[in-house]
Amino acid sequence: MDLSNISETLIAGKADELRKMVEEGVKENINPADILNQGLLPGMDAVGKKWKAGDMFMPEVLRSAKAMSISMDFLRPLLKDDDVGNAGTMIIGTVAGDLHDIGKDLAAMMFEGAGYNVINIGIDQSNENFVDAVKEHKCNLLGMSALLTTTMPRMGEVINSLKEAGIRDQVTVIIGGAPVTEEFAREIGADLYAPNAGSAVDITREYLQNKN
Amino acid sequence: MKMNQTINKSTKFRVLSDDQIEQIFYAALEVLERTGGMIYHEEALELFRDSHAVVKGNHVRVPPYMIEEALNFYPRKITLRGRNNVRSLHIQKDTVTFGTGSDLPFTHDRKTGERRRTTYQDVTNAAKLVDALSHYDFFMSHGIVGDAPNPQTYDRHQFMAMLEGCTKPMVLTSVDGEGLEDLWKMGCLVQGGEEEFRLNPLFVAYIEPISPLKNDKTAVEKLLFAAKKKLPAMYTPCPSSGATAPATIAGMLVQSLAETLMAVVLCHLKSPGTPLIMGGVTTLLDMKYSTYSYGAPELSLASAANTDISKWLNLLMFSTGGCTDSKILDEQAAAEQMMNLFYSYLSGANLIHDVGYMDHGTNASLESLVMNEEMMGMVKAFGKGINTDDDHLALELIEKIGPAGEYVTSGHTFDHWKEWFMPKLQDRSDYETWKQNGSKTMLDRVKERTQHLLDTYEPEPLDEKLKKELKEIASAADARHS
Repeated sequence: MDLSNISETLIAGKADELRKMVEEGVKENINPADILNQGLLPGMDAVGKKWKAGDMFMPEVLRSAKAMSISMDFLRPLLKDDDVGNAGTMIIGTVAGDLHDIGKDLAAMMFEGAGYNVINIGIDQSNENFVDAVKEHKCNLLGMSALLTTTMPRMGEVINSLKEAGIRDQVTVIIGGAPVTEEFAREIGADLYAPNAGSAVDITREYLQNKN
Repeated sequence: MKMNQTINKSTKFRVLSDDQIEQIFYAALEVLERTGGMIYHEEALELFRDSHAVVKGNHVRVPPYMIEEALNFYPRKITLRGRNNVRSLHIQKDTVTFGTGSDLPFTHDRKTGERRRTTYQDVTNAAKLVDALSHYDFFMSHGIVGDAPNPQTYDRHQFMAMLEGCTKPMVLTSVDGEGLEDLWKMGCLVQGGEEEFRLNPLFVAYIEPISPLKNDKTAVEKLLFAAKKKLPAMYTPCPSSGATAPATIAGMLVQSLAETLMAVVLCHLKSPGTPLIMGGVTTLLDMKYSTYSYGAPELSLASAANTDISKWLNLLMFSTGGCTDSKILDEQAAAEQMMNLFYSYLSGANLIHDVGYMDHGTNASLESLVMNEEMMGMVKAFGKGINTDDDHLALELIEKIGPAGEYVTSGHTFDHWKEWFMPKLQDRSDYETWKQNGSKTMLDRVKERTQHLLDTYEPEPLDEKLKKELKEIASAADARHS
């Protein structure tokens, strides 16, 4: 199987077709890590580049991300923990008192597209729920959002709760939302701030590369 | 005697035909019957359970006859009185009024040119400008008081900042039901008691659902409080086409109307006759930057269509104009603000808000408020239409002046030229004069006028005793939430 066909199908956002190709590849005894690294990830890289160049737009990018996610659901159990490209697990949610979720959902889809196992815990989540989810899923990335200035401070409370639970160092924390700024992210002790759903993945990738 | 005459006393503009509005209305009824909405509030769920609505958990579906019945009970006229004691804001069909938007977290700092958090003082300054500028009929806070002692009680402090600078009627946001109750108590103090407030409300409560079809606890609390006290309120869906609503304008209008009608039924169940105003910031999600656009031409088109729907339903309309996605007051800002200001005005929406909004609803700018004053004047001059009575046809005058005459010195000109729009900021000078006057740009003039107004305009001060009483309500709220 020519793995570049997988990339092309991913860029075209054909989810069902892509999943079939990935399943066939595994049946043909192609190493799952190769399917990921030589098929899916180059496809998503191309999507990212096309988007930045203004050749692809949100609905197209998200279709590709969704296709990636559906194929990853199949492929992930077959990958070894140390396979490059197995990005890890992300918890994402909207803080207590806030029921706005479109920005967070867009970000979640983008991270799924980047190969993360994303657990979207939803809207109006208490500090404890965030902490419990981080513990339970042993995630390495936590994303939070708030649209309201009234709920924004809750993101800082969640970070404090992570500290109290002794698991702050386990996760990289990224935050976003219309009233949120980089300065605010620093103030509350978040690691990263993304001004929009689209840039979140790149910002995270760059940060983690520099860290390692 | 002339028979069967039609005289256009204003210009006319309409997007949707009656048949199209019917299509959208029936579709919205279908949405509420089939898809329903989510309600996160126990008392509201109880009200729906006691009615013919079908409630499963937080999910509520409503049969059309409940909506049709409820629609018969909404007032078609609401009149607000500012603290200046003038009943100036007449919210009724085809009467257009302009006002600011509210709660912008950032402000364009006029000294540094940088973006920073909005403060109490910024809100008071915006209040002063709105009080001074005649085309603003009502005031929303423009910015949010980011330096309030506690975000959970910011609304009381924000109302104080607004009252200090502005004597006009207002539209207020609130944190939750408790916050709105405090604002109402403060309003009653200003107007001279609960009964006076009922006849002369000072403000309309701004409330919004979350698209698609979600009604969160705080929004419903506020709605039910408004219904209980017969406090004027608006329920304003903010769908982003393509993200939280269908990517088609028709689909977005259907969903937005369904969201409105859910509140129409809920308020009716709580207390028939609630002065509820229909609303909507109906626009799209930019598919490159995932921002909620305030400058898209689709906002103008969808908003005007929404106003057509409101009139057909006999509901009052809270619409949107004078806003932009531009980060600074530049050519983009002028183009976008003018476009949505113009079409919202022509559509005949009753309250047009968000005038002066920058950076897709995140950045406040006092200069933007001042520039929009000029643009509102221009738009209104267009909306006047053309008088064609004998005096205005001027047949006698044309005969009197004759071929090769002049009109500058005629009495007719002296009487009528004042009907024209008088620019304060537009420059119509000749090149040499413009150069002699310093070659100023529009922005230069806007900046000067903003500074001049802030330096010279003094709003009627708040009575000291009243101010103290109002502050007590805010302090009590701070104490409860500390």
